[in-house]
Amino acid sequence: MEQGAAFNQLKKILLEQDREERDELAQKLSELDQQLNQKEKLEVRVDPILKDQEVHLRNNFSHLFGPQITESIRKQIKDSQDEVVEALYPIIGRMIKKYITNEIQKLSEKVDQQMELAFSWEGWKIRIKAWFSGTPQKEVMLSKLIEPKIEEIFVIERDSGILMGSFSRSESVDQDMVAGMLTAIKAFVEDAFTSEKQELESIDYENYKIVLKSFKSFFLAVVTSGGMSMAFRDKLDDQLIDFADKVLKNARSETEEPEEDKLSGRLAEFFNEFENGDK
Amino acid sequence: MAISKKVILVGHFGVGKTSLIRRFVHQKFSDDYLTTIGVKIDKKVLKVDSMEVTLIIWDIAGETNQAKIPKSYQLGAHGVLYVFDITRPSTYQNLHEQLDYLSGVLPNAPVKVIANKKDLISAEKQEEVLAEIALDGIYTSSAKTGESVEEIFEALAKAMIA
Repeated sequence: MEQGAAFNQLKKILLEQDREERDELAQKLSELDQQLNQKEKLEVRVDPILKDQEVHLRNNFSHLFGPQITESIRKQIKDSQDEVVEALYPIIGRMIKKYITNEIQKLSEKVDQQMELAFSWEGWKIRIKAWFSGTPQKEVMLSKLIEPKIEEIFVIERDSGILMGSFSRSESVDQDMVAGMLTAIKAFVEDAFTSEKQELESIDYENYKIVLKSFKSFFLAVVTSGGMSMAFRDKLDDQLIDFADKVLKNARSETEEPEEDKLSGRLAEFFNEFENGDK
Repeated sequence: MAISKKVILVGHFGVGKTSLIRRFVHQKFSDDYLTTIGVKIDKKVLKVDSMEVTLIIWDIAGETNQAKIPKSYQLGAHGVLYVFDITRPSTYQNLHEQLDYLSGVLPNAPVKVIANKKDLISAEKQEEVLAEIALDGIYTSSAKTGESVEEIFEALAKAMIA
């Protein structure tokens, strides 16, 4: 009996430390369990780490993901080229035009300055006329030119040359055939004389000029008479881009084949307003 | 309902493409040969199954090889008439190859093959040539007499709106 008590005593002495360690471990495990399973406690621990990662990501985002993003954008553009071009064409066209218009404006101002310095008989005549009439010198000079006027407009499907709509002051020629011939001329010039992909922009004959504005799936041909000033050309360009953007895109999205009469009606509205100076 | 369709006429030079159009559009024929430079556009409105079909006909200058023609003339075509001269073997010897090329450029456009100038050849010889070509659905025509001209354009118009 004494031997058994002594053995128990020995066991107690020997395992005391182990038991304490086990209890301590159980305590730590329970704390860890709480930290992992109780949201508030987990947040306290994890939030600083996430914040650090967030800052790290923000500072190194382009370095970490730049190549993958560039690659996926490149792939997306390549796979949906038509949609991207259709969407960007009017925007890029407008941006480039605005830039060029600004540059031309600067050039025009410089020319004006030079002209003011010039001591020519014609210059003096214009100046005298402007002084007497009370109108600006520029306007007197412009009025000397014949006023430009839109005679006809054709909306033509790009490859087939099929007429999609037209606006005309005089119905003298067959517009379907004119549309076809304009497409053929455009195709011939672009095939024959350009090594890179470039567009025919205008055709001149005597007092008439045909301004061509190409878009992805169609082009617009505007027959104008009179002297085409830069300001008129610029205004016309804006109006054509606007027309393509507002009318043609909508017409295409409504039905697969936009109705010719409907489109011609919208053309007349748009360009009558343009000539009346409402736009 | 009205609809417009682009039709191209292709084939070797001197096979009678312009004459076929002249016959079809203007009901005229001339023996004088004037080579087509580049392309010439014509138009004719046909009534097909209560539908008004405006054919915009592109008379493309003759070439022995269709690949030499600017692609922009061919693109967007809704229908093709391939014309050869039944009296000149050189105009149909590469026919299958040319048709393959065209179906590559215009996979969805119906193509009708025309053996023109049938008035210059006997019926037996005609049969011989067609057997040699071994292609189904070839139309034989004569721009001079007007035989089958209208029928060919109508068949193409029907195929285009089908």
